[in-house]
Amino acid sequence: MALKKQEQRPVAEKGEHIIARHLIEDDSIKEEKNLVIDGVDVSGRWNTFILSRVDSEFDRSFFREIKDTVVGSRINRCWQCGMCTASCTVTPLYRRFNPRAFIYMMQLGNLKELKKYIDVAWRCVGCYKCSQRCPKQVNPAEMMEALGLLIKKYFPEEVQSKLKVDEDVKKIYDDMILGHGRLDLAKLHTSAMQKTGRTKELLGKIERDAIFKMAKDGRAFSILRLGKPHNWNSSKEAMGNYLKNLNTIESSEA
Amino acid sequence: MAENILVVGGGPAGLNAAVMLSELGVNVTLVERDSFIGGNPKKFKYKFLFPDMQPADNVIGELIKKTESGGNIKVYYSSEVSDFKENGKKFDATIKSAGGSETKTFDSVIVATGFEHFDPARDAKYSYQLFDDVIDIKDLERMMGENNFVRPSNGQPPKNVAFILCVGSRDRHIGNQYCSRVCCTISVKQAIELKEHFPDCEVYIFYMDIRTYGFFEDLYWQAMEEHDVQIVKGRIAEITSGPNNTVVCKGEDTLLRGPFEIPFDMVVLASGMEGGPQSPEISSKLGIELDEHGFLKPENITLSPFKSNKAGIFLAGACTGPKAISDSITEGAAAAMNAYTYAVKNR
Ligand SMILES: Cc1cc2nc3c(=O)[nH]c(=O)nc-3n(C[C@H](O)[C@H](O)[C@H](O)COP(=O)(O)OP(=O)(O)OC[C@H]3O[C@@H](n4cnc5c(N)ncnc54)[C@H](O)[C@@H]3O)c2cc1C
Ligand code: SF4
Ligand code: SF4
Ligand code: SF4
Repeated sequence: MALKKQEQRPVAEKGEHIIARHLIEDDSIKEEKNLVIDGVDVSGRWNTFILSRVDSEFDRSFFREIKDTVVGSRINRCWQCGMCTASCTVTPLYRRFNPRAFIYMMQLGNLKELKKYIDVAWRCVGCYKCSQRCPKQVNPAEMMEALGLLIKKYFPEEVQSKLKVDEDVKKIYDDMILGHGRLDLAKLHTSAMQKTGRTKELLGKIERDAIFKMAKDGRAFSILRLGKPHNWNSSKEAMGNYLKNLNTIESSEA
Repeated sequence: MAENILVVGGGPAGLNAAVMLSELGVNVTLVERDSFIGGNPKKFKYKFLFPDMQPADNVIGELIKKTESGGNIKVYYSSEVSDFKENGKKFDATIKSAGGSETKTFDSVIVATGFEHFDPARDAKYSYQLFDDVIDIKDLERMMGENNFVRPSNGQPPKNVAFILCVGSRDRHIGNQYCSRVCCTISVKQAIELKEHFPDCEVYIFYMDIRTYGFFEDLYWQAMEEHDVQIVKGRIAEITSGPNNTVVCKGEDTLLRGPFEIPFDMVVLASGMEGGPQSPEISSKLGIELDEHGFLKPENITLSPFKSNKAGIFLAGACTGPKAISDSITEGAAAAMNAYTYAVKNR
């Protein structure tokens, strides 16, 4: 009789009966759909448990790990002023991509928080605008590399499942690799700026200065002189095929 | 026979040193680079001073009056120390002015050459000098002194104004790692003055830290609690031109986590203090030490902040680092006392 009643009960969403449910993250609600303790049926809302929302530790081991890497060695300098995020090429496109906030999470070893950003954490285009402005010379652009490495190490499964490629960005990458045989950071930067409608800034003083500087110290020309990689045509074909296969796999998964 | 003491620089620190020495009966020679005395407060026409908003004339005007009326002070305007030599325990200095050159022997020397305002044009991201409506605190101080609070671009009252703190200070790129100490307080003071003048104008302060140390904190509270000045936590990374003749501040609201681009009628940059070209010049001319921040270096920063590393040469005011007028005046008095003691001992 009791069993029958249970079967008829409509299946509730996890934590559905909690007032102001939207304030609590999914991960923080523990609830067993079917649970019987000592013969008493406590399924669903009868066993709901909300984990404490108060952080109880700062994990400095994590900070030290980052500090020992070449790219992350200046993590101890960051004082959270926000100039990097304010100057970032990517943030206006993905508001959740926030170099300053990521650096803070890394400083405090807050992996729980970082985990929420796995889908956007790798989106830095390497334009170095942040590093150019950072008043403490933290080199936030390279901190983003440290972040990528870290996420790959600590959340390998999530990286597999959550990293969704942005089609526009992917096209820019693909075209660049097939067209030039290498990534061209300047072009990546320009494309990202165009995509966010910031073409005017490309003609601004800071960008112009950077271009003059690169032309003057020869970096701009050495990039042009590099040309395409050795034996490019066959590589290009192989890569083209690889990308085509990848696309088919991805679209069949979607 | 009365002592002869040389004071270089006629700002608040130098003037107070000169006045105190003259009251002791010392023959004071005051060398001032500009054609007037009173230092930066006079040059930029400061009108009301923090912390108590008293008229600057009460302080600067008073010091100038005492200097000019004190019979023992000889002021050389538009002049410089062109040559300087030690002479036993005394010093031979040549003073060059429009009236020619004069060499005199001094028992001791006080250096009070002060500071220069950081030139915000050196930091391209703030677009200073590119847009008329981007000014800095010394410009606004001068504008207020001339009773001219309006937007430089069109002469209209501003509807909203942004203050940006730490311009040219606390920034490795610019090369100034130190805090300029007074720019936070000047900014809240000017925010109050703006609100008093234009009650409908919205005033925002973009900050990383607000350092209105000691009792200066009162002004900060007053700005928020009596004048509705809004503070926003985040440093500004760029200033561009916006619609309807505005300037856009691009920054991050670090508390809310997210970028913003907000148009303002006027932006005021809280540019800091620097040792200026005069600090290294006087350092090499007098053979006294310069510190790593570009200011003159005291012998012991805690025990004797008013002494240079050379016996008989004393320091006072902003030439040893950013400070407020009251500190500069105190140091002027301390240096005067020490310079007098040295002179009397070596009579
Ligand atoms: C915008 C702004 C507003 C401020 N408002 C306030 C305020 O409200 N209240 C407050 O307490 N403080 C204020 N301050 C701080 C105040 O300006 C300084 O504390 C004060 O001016 C320092 O006095 P000083 O005599 O050491 O130097 P200065 O005022 O810089 O005077 C130095 C003098 O020396 C002269 N000089 C320099 N080199 C030579 C040389 N080689 N030979 C001869 N003469 C030379 C200069 O021409 C100048 O006259 C403000 C500062 C700024 C930037
Ligand atoms: S280098 Fe990366 S993090 Fe830095 S501004 Fe460019 S996109 Fe943003
Ligand atoms: S600009 Fe530099 S100091 Fe400021 S938040 Fe970014 S990394 Fe940290
Ligand atoms: S006093 Fe304020 S604005 Fe000036 S440098 Fe220090 S913190 Fe920045």
